[in-house]
Amino acid sequence: MDVHLQRIQKSHGLIIPGSDGHRLLRYMNEIHNDRQAVYEIGYLFVGSLPEERVPAENDKVRKIIADAGASVIAEEVPHRERLAYTIRRKTVAGSYEKYDEAYFGWIKFEVGTVKIEGIKKSLETLPVILRMLVITTVRENTYLGKRAPALASVIRPGIQTPEKTLENAAAPVAPVVNIEEMDKSIDEMVKEV
Amino acid sequence: MKKQCYFSQHNIKYIDYKDTEILKKFLNPHGRILSRRRTGISAKYQRELAMAVKRARFMGLLPYIAG
Repeated sequence: MDVHLQRIQKSHGLIIPGSDGHRLLRYMNEIHNDRQAVYEIGYLFVGSLPEERVPAENDKVRKIIADAGASVIAEEVPHRERLAYTIRRKTVAGSYEKYDEAYFGWIKFEVGTVKIEGIKKSLETLPVILRMLVITTVRENTYLGKRAPALASVIRPGIQTPEKTLENAAAPVAPVVNIEEMDKSIDEMVKEV
Repeated sequence: MKKQCYFSQHNIKYIDYKDTEILKKFLNPHGRILSRRRTGISAKYQRELAMAVKRARFMGLLPYIAG
């Protein structure tokens, strides 16, 4: 390659077509575009949605994901849940809709990294979706679900630390005293007086 | 006595934001995340825990402020 061109590329950070840098960039782009990743999308359907319409709306979400060429790994159909706080959403008219309840569902899938942005944008256009969260995750199951309450009952951090338990164990326990012995000792004390 | 990391003990590799029952155990009555001193979990899992709690809050599964 021309030394002069190389110098320009170096000083201006340009990628000249046909250069080694250009080939490398194309190769890296190809690798990046072919890359697959595991994603999970959690979403909330508005609480005002009738229960019977939930499966149909969920199918729309699934379709958007499937159309992008994703393979679904795991999912949970939205179920009605009380929200921890009121979520507000601005309407086109400018007023606010308030929701204390919503249908929470999630779907885990594998898709090309270049496709995820498109999926996200398509889902955002669905009016029934109140809020959504896209995260990268792993193929293995991370959700404990029904196992969680049993495990959660094992721990009470901050409330009962081992240090405190030790202190409790070391606390002097009131000795069990025989009443007769106590009477004797009292008698002896009285005699001394 | 040194406290053992809860997640290492129970062989939980990834903390999921949907497991709110577990996450709740690491919050104080106001809904704030307990410090590592209180939780006794390793730095790695404390970071994961914080991330999971914040995700759960965003999705309305946990409160930002509980009162």
